[in-house]
Amino acid sequence: MRVTSHAFNESLINQLNALTARQYNLQNQVSSGLRFSAASDDPAAMKNTLDLQAGKAAQTHYSGNIATLLTRATSIYNVLQSLHTISTRAGELATLASDDTKSQTDRDNYAGEVKQLIQQAAQLANTKDAATGQYLFGGTASGAAPFVVTKDANDNVTGVTYQGNSSVNKIEIADGVTVSVDIPGANASGSGANGLFTDSRSGADFFSHLISFQNNLESGNTTAIAATDTANFQIDENNLLYNISNNGATQTRLNTAATFASNNSQSLDTMISNASGADMVQTIVQLNQAQTAYQAALQSGSKIMQLSLLNYIQ
Amino acid sequence: MAARSLQTQQTGVEVSGHNLANVNTAGYSRQRVDIQTSPFIPTSIGAEGTGANAVSIQQLISAGLNGQIQRQFSSGGYWEGQQSALQNTQNALNEFLNGGTSASSSTSTTSTTSTGLATQLSGLFTAFQSVATSPGSISARQALIGQAQSLATTFNQVGTQLNTQRTSLNSSITDDVGSANNLLASIASLNKQIADAEFRGGTANDLRDAREQVLGNLSKLSNITTSTGVNGSVDVNIGGQSLVSGYKVMDTLQTYDAGGGNLLVQTATGGVPLTLTGGSMQGTIDARDGTLATLQNSINTLAATLITQVNAIHSPGFGLNGTTGADFFSGTDAASMSVNQSLVDNPSLIQASGSATASGDNSVALSLAQLASASQSALNNQTFGNSYTQTVADLGNALYDANNQVANQTAVAKMLSTQRSSVSGVNLDEEMTNLMSYQQAYAASAELVKTVNQMLQTLLALKN
Repeated sequence: MRVTSHAFNESLINQLNALTARQYNLQNQVSSGLRFSAASDDPAAMKNTLDLQAGKAAQTHYSGNIATLLTRATSIYNVLQSLHTISTRAGELATLASDDTKSQTDRDNYAGEVKQLIQQAAQLANTKDAATGQYLFGGTASGAAPFVVTKDANDNVTGVTYQGNSSVNKIEIADGVTVSVDIPGANASGSGANGLFTDSRSGADFFSHLISFQNNLESGNTTAIAATDTANFQIDENNLLYNISNNGATQTRLNTAATFASNNSQSLDTMISNASGADMVQTIVQLNQAQTAYQAALQSGSKIMQLSLLNYIQ
Repeated sequence: MAARSLQTQQTGVEVSGHNLANVNTAGYSRQRVDIQTSPFIPTSIGAEGTGANAVSIQQLISAGLNGQIQRQFSSGGYWEGQQSALQNTQNALNEFLNGGTSASSSTSTTSTTSTGLATQLSGLFTAFQSVATSPGSISARQALIGQAQSLATTFNQVGTQLNTQRTSLNSSITDDVGSANNLLASIASLNKQIADAEFRGGTANDLRDAREQVLGNLSKLSNITTSTGVNGSVDVNIGGQSLVSGYKVMDTLQTYDAGGGNLLVQTATGGVPLTLTGGSMQGTIDARDGTLATLQNSINTLAATLITQVNAIHSPGFGLNGTTGADFFSGTDAASMSVNQSLVDNPSLIQASGSATASGDNSVALSLAQLASASQSALNNQTFGNSYTQTVADLGNALYDANNQVANQTAVAKMLSTQRSSVSGVNLDEEMTNLMSYQQAYAASAELVKTVNQMLQTLLALKN
């Protein structure tokens, strides 16, 4: 084929442009670590990467939710443990006080201790979540203190009223999977989460039972203490133990979910990297090849361009 | 005879010089002087030669190849029009990946982030999650407002950018129409100049080259059909309408609003809408009415569905103070989307609770967060995120296709240009060789003049 001077120049320019563009792309890939950056470079991989990124963002948030729930579950567990101590002591006092050999002075002393126990329990019932400042046992009406204590002139607790509700919030820990760690202070509805202090299904009513015990101690009604209060405290203890074991089971579940979320997050990272990441070894080898080709084109081009018939005629 | 010979060789030198001067001129076709033996003089001893004459200067061209190049220009222009429009559209959408490099061993482990709506969308749903986790937290609510505003602003920007893109494609069509009208006028004028120049015989080579260039430029704008008219003129038709006939521009092009501000092309005087089949004008029109229109529609549907769905869940909910009935988003499409100002002013009004009396309830916030994985019938049963990424991929595919087509067309153009150049291009070595041979022939002819002169002197000396 007849090759003309202009065609030769044009072709050299095209070749150099193509090699420069190739080097530019490969250099971008090496510096960003990405095989592509725009949808037009690889539409399917772009969609895949964006979808995976959304999955990763959700996963990261689920991990955050799980951590929050675990913190709250631990706070609740600590309260439950303290309540359990109170409940156990109340049961002990009931057993001691039901003994007819005890004097009224002894019972008055017991009554004084029960009064403190009631105060402690009421204080624990109004515990706030350190992270959010919301009350732990108010159900979803968690903005105001859920338990209000009424006292008489002698500073005796005459009643503890529940101001919260029996609903609990659910929080998502994976797509479509929700968990609740909250326990409402009271649930008289017969459905939903068990109430911590009062629950119509188990018959638990910790504050009323404590107050009744306190009154029976002061009035010296050992019959009622032996017949009713001891049994009532057993019901409250059972209800408390149910909530403690429920809390433990939820924590175990959350820990499993946290491990799963962490693994899932790692595998999503790998998938994102596979979808959009550049293979460094391959990219750098290709960049070297492109550089070599560019140098060769420059050298051969400049040598050939210097030569023409003009070099040989005088 | 000697003088004629000198003149003939000089013409050869001039033509070679002309070729050499135009070695880098785009569209130039090399010329050759056609030298023929002069008529002989019959004598008693036989025909006596009278030297040589330069009878014509001819272009070396391949008419078929020129036609092919024109058609190729037309389809190349079409895809370049599409490519440019779609590239700008992709920029307007602003969905790109950023990588923080950490080139370790074989594969890079990158912290890939994206720049556009995808991140903002998932950000909104995680912000709803945060409120669901801590419904009473004002800071979580403020973060949600910030994220929602950021999403709305990104939607606004994308919506506005895409509208601007439509406007700029319309002005690009208007510009192309203006250029096409100028080129039509040039063709008519060149037809006249060529006819005038060739009136006395010969071929107006350089003018024909210029006309070929103009026809090529017009083909880049639109698919044209040409036919040879009177006196070597070229008649031009676009979309079946005669626009140049002989020396006259029969009609020009103009844009018209085909509804919704979408400009199309028609003839100016006749008012006949033209169906263009190639060239950058049609490429731009197709990109505007095809990919860009679909993209705008998808983004607006996405924004509208998001606004409707979020409001439908948010509106019956209750704020921290028991307020209800407020929308979360206002607006109806991407460009008009915004966050309800009263919520911006007071985030405690965000209606995250499902109960008027339970401010700590999170059921509404949870439902809003769960919208992330809910498929929407308005979005072809895809989730918000998937619908958007599909939109990005669709645009990517269209541009990917246009890029490939442009690459293919460029390869074809390069091949045709090389072919054309091998017929019509100037080769320096070749022209130098020709120049030297004409120069030597000129010197020889001059020697003939000298010899005749010496002979004449010898003859005149006999008188003394």
